[in-house]
Amino acid sequence: MNVELSDLTRRFGRTYAVAGVSLQVGPGVFGLLGPNGAGKTSLLRMMATVLPPTSGRLRLLGRDPGSVGPRREIRRRLGYLPQNLGYYPGFTVAEFVEYFALLKDMPPGRVPRAVAAAIEQVGLGAKARAKLRTLSGGMLRRAGIAQAIVNDPQLLLLDEPTAGLDPEQRVAFRAMLRGLGERATVVVSTHLVEDVGAACTEVALMAAGKVVFHGTPGELIACGEGSGAAGDAPLERGYSAVLAASRSAAARSATETRA
Amino acid sequence: MTGEGMYREAAPSRDGGNGAAADGGGVCPSDVDLSRVWTGVAAEVWRRRPGPAERLAARLTGSAGLARALVTTPSLLLGWVIATVVVLGAGAAATRGTGTPYVALFAPAVAGAGIAYAYGPGIDPAWELSRSMAVSDRMVLLVRALAVFGLNAAAGLAAAAASGAAAAVTFGWLVPMTAVCALALAAATLSRSANVGVAAGMSGWAITVLAGQTAAGRLTAAITGSVLVLPYLAFAACCGAVAWYATRIPGGAR
Repeated sequence: MNVELSDLTRRFGRTYAVAGVSLQVGPGVFGLLGPNGAGKTSLLRMMATVLPPTSGRLRLLGRDPGSVGPRREIRRRLGYLPQNLGYYPGFTVAEFVEYFALLKDMPPGRVPRAVAAAIEQVGLGAKARAKLRTLSGGMLRRAGIAQAIVNDPQLLLLDEPTAGLDPEQRVAFRAMLRGLGERATVVVSTHLVEDVGAACTEVALMAAGKVVFHGTPGELIACGEGSGAAGDAPLERGYSAVLAASRSAAARSATETRA
Repeated sequence: MTGEGMYREAAPSRDGGNGAAADGGGVCPSDVDLSRVWTGVAAEVWRRRPGPAERLAARLTGSAGLARALVTTPSLLLGWVIATVVVLGAGAAATRGTGTPYVALFAPAVAGAGIAYAYGPGIDPAWELSRSMAVSDRMVLLVRALAVFGLNAAAGLAAAAASGAAAAVTFGWLVPMTAVCALALAAATLSRSANVGVAAGMSGWAITVLAGQTAAGRLTAAITGSVLVLPYLAFAACCGAVAWYATRIPGGAR
């Protein structure tokens, strides 16, 4: 298993962003679904070793990110696209991708070819020497994806990767995702159910910091059958049904606690 | 056209290569991987040649990544360096005109602000991404802080020499500058805000100067009193320890 989480929590003040998540993720494309504020980004940031967990156990690529040496090894093999991709406006696309390739400790001699391959893969070849400040939102997102895949990562974490992409780019991106999932573990956090249906082999649904569903997209669809839940597509109905069930369970639990 | 196709066709030069091969009828042998060839060509065309400063930094630090991080330090960018030189130059001119050692009074505050802005949050747009990289963010901060300190010390020394101040005042500000820089760094890392670091460094230095004036009746007391050297150094060491703690390795598995 490339990602092993056991009873992982992350607290900000009194609020639990992640409240006891246990997951095991192997190779393939893993979708992390959930409404805004469900804890997806906090969970992904912990997996990216950016945010330390408050409690629980986390192992990535068979290593403990709490120790210096293993964490460095993890980070060499990690690709991460944050939800809010910060960028240097004066950098060109190639400079931006190269910068992070160097920070990932790639051998400098391998960097130029890896940069070119990553930029080509996201279809930004024609813009490789354009300054980032001149790019559209979708192109910036693709530059972000390029830096995430430049080191051919074994663990790729993508937070809302399709935000800002047009429909054609999203189709291309999903195809790329499926290809990457054949040789790495790809965790995609999104609230777009159709991304999960098209690219993911496994899916977890988060609500209020907890995983309320874990299974295949087919199993999520099955949850919505005959439930009368809202949604235009079978996967959306499954998503709505699971969320509705988790909310009513939480409300029941709160009522019992008060009583 | 599929989306994937669109991705491939985004590189015009490669299309040109394919087109030439097709038109030429066998110009390109069939066992040549054109995609691979194009990647090699693109790598050469897009490759960035590091400048002399970056090459030197790579040699000194032994890491191309650290060197690249160093040359992107917000307070080492040209605009900031020019502003530093202008402030210290104005200080030198004012010192020559009035006799008050403005360079010695400005230098610690300017350097403290520079050090605070060597730290990421709030000023480095790609900070979160940088934190997930194999090259340690603490190492990046250390290298950046050293470079900013060195540059400010050199600029301050040049300005002090140009101002013709007395020898004691010329060099007296170096130790307080160390303490102010350490305070700014500690505050920035602890609060995770470069702006808080700047505020702490500047206000700390202003309080020190005003307290020196109140106690000794001279504005220069904070930079000329040899009795203050040890307290400054001890304070700098404590702040350094705080900054070290604040940038400690986050616990992964507990």
